[in-house]
Amino acid sequence: MDTCIQKIREIAFQLLDKKEVERVIGFSNGTIPMATSPITIASKQDTEKLVFNSTCGLNLANYIRQQKGKIAVIAKGCDSRNIVTHIIENQVKRDQIYIIGVPCKGMINKSKIKALFEDEILKFTEDGETLTVESSLKKEKLNKKDYLRDNCRLCQHRNPVIYDVLAGEPVEEQVLDTPYPDVEKIAALDADARWLHFQELTKNCIRCYACRNACPLCYCPTCFVDESGPQWVGKGQDKTDVNTFHFLRAFHCAGRCTDCGACAEACPMDINVRDFTRKLNKDAFDMFGWEAGLDQTKRPPLDAYSPDDPNDFIK
Amino acid sequence: MNDNTIKIVSFLCNWCSYGAADLAGVSRMEYPADIRVIRIPCSGRMSPKFILSAFREGADAVWVSG
Amino acid sequence: MGNLLEHMGIERDRIHFSWISSAEATKFVDVVKEISNKVRALGPNTKLVKDYN
Repeated sequence: MDTCIQKIREIAFQLLDKKEVERVIGFSNGTIPMATSPITIASKQDTEKLVFNSTCGLNLANYIRQQKGKIAVIAKGCDSRNIVTHIIENQVKRDQIYIIGVPCKGMINKSKIKALFEDEILKFTEDGETLTVESSLKKEKLNKKDYLRDNCRLCQHRNPVIYDVLAGEPVEEQVLDTPYPDVEKIAALDADARWLHFQELTKNCIRCYACRNACPLCYCPTCFVDESGPQWVGKGQDKTDVNTFHFLRAFHCAGRCTDCGACAEACPMDINVRDFTRKLNKDAFDMFGWEAGLDQTKRPPLDAYSPDDPNDFIK
Repeated sequence: MNDNTIKIVSFLCNWCSYGAADLAGVSRMEYPADIRVIRIPCSGRMSPKFILSAFREGADAVWVSG
Repeated sequence: MGNLLEHMGIERDRIHFSWISSAEATKFVDVVKEISNKVRALGPNTKLVKDYN
């Protein structure tokens, strides 16, 4: 994707040079190897700071709300779907943002790579499909395909659905026979085993709310976990509180989640929070034929009434 | 806990099921005493938080009725 | 909601939705009986209950 970044920088430079946008939101190198952090740049000299590689797993749609003036944002397939969701939910106006679309071949699972090394990773470089990762003990050449994040592996919308300019050639979309193997795997268990699975999943949760903060959907001015009157959920690490938090957060994302993976990416304890949201994505698809963020003109299923809505759960 | 102390937290709409419950009462109909009724002004007042809160506080089941 | 609770391992019969007109006292009684029977069959709920002790 090295060619991509040249194009991104060029576009960003032009936009800032002609003062078409006030700021550009993109990724810059992080403070440690194999990490990138979001950056907002306002001057054309800073465009050199922009990077784009397989570690840009966060979702930049999270940063476009409540911005003044016109801004440009770099958007992968999932980011662009979240921008559409934002437009539907009146969080931004379409003409306020300039979308630099980037066709994406998936982001890497950092914890999977870290698990290969006993010590700290010192260097990470990427060339096409090959990743080179170095620590002080060894150097590994890895095939990017084997280290994709789970959600990227199951991604069916790699190209941005909405953009003003595309920074690379569109990539081939994956066609999957079973888009929800993880959900089906859990569904095959009986009730107690499913309960155990989620107990096991959330037992390490430290309630840091990184998943919530990384999520572009979680923009409530006061989150339900921060409300104190009534207090819906305790603040500690009690397992009921942890479960309630994850359950309700997932439910708030019903029919809106684009499975961008930012929640799982941000989690310091490597909890696959997506086990909750994926089920709702599957339900939204099965019950309403809905995938979030594909069409600016359609209202989301839980927002609109249709006589055809499934209602056999009501006696 | 035995079966006699099962608690079903019931969220009943003021205008529909709550009226039905009232009518059942004045008609002296018999029904199981497992339900604990919470009157809500409209089914639209219902929120997923209520359901989870009910379970958290020890409900055995939740019933939402419009 | 029911679907996700079920996915998490809460039995489906622990959550019920119904629509009863204010004139349908008999339906109300029937539904209460039905729900009560189903929940009694499941027994007390232990999942997702906050332990305050």
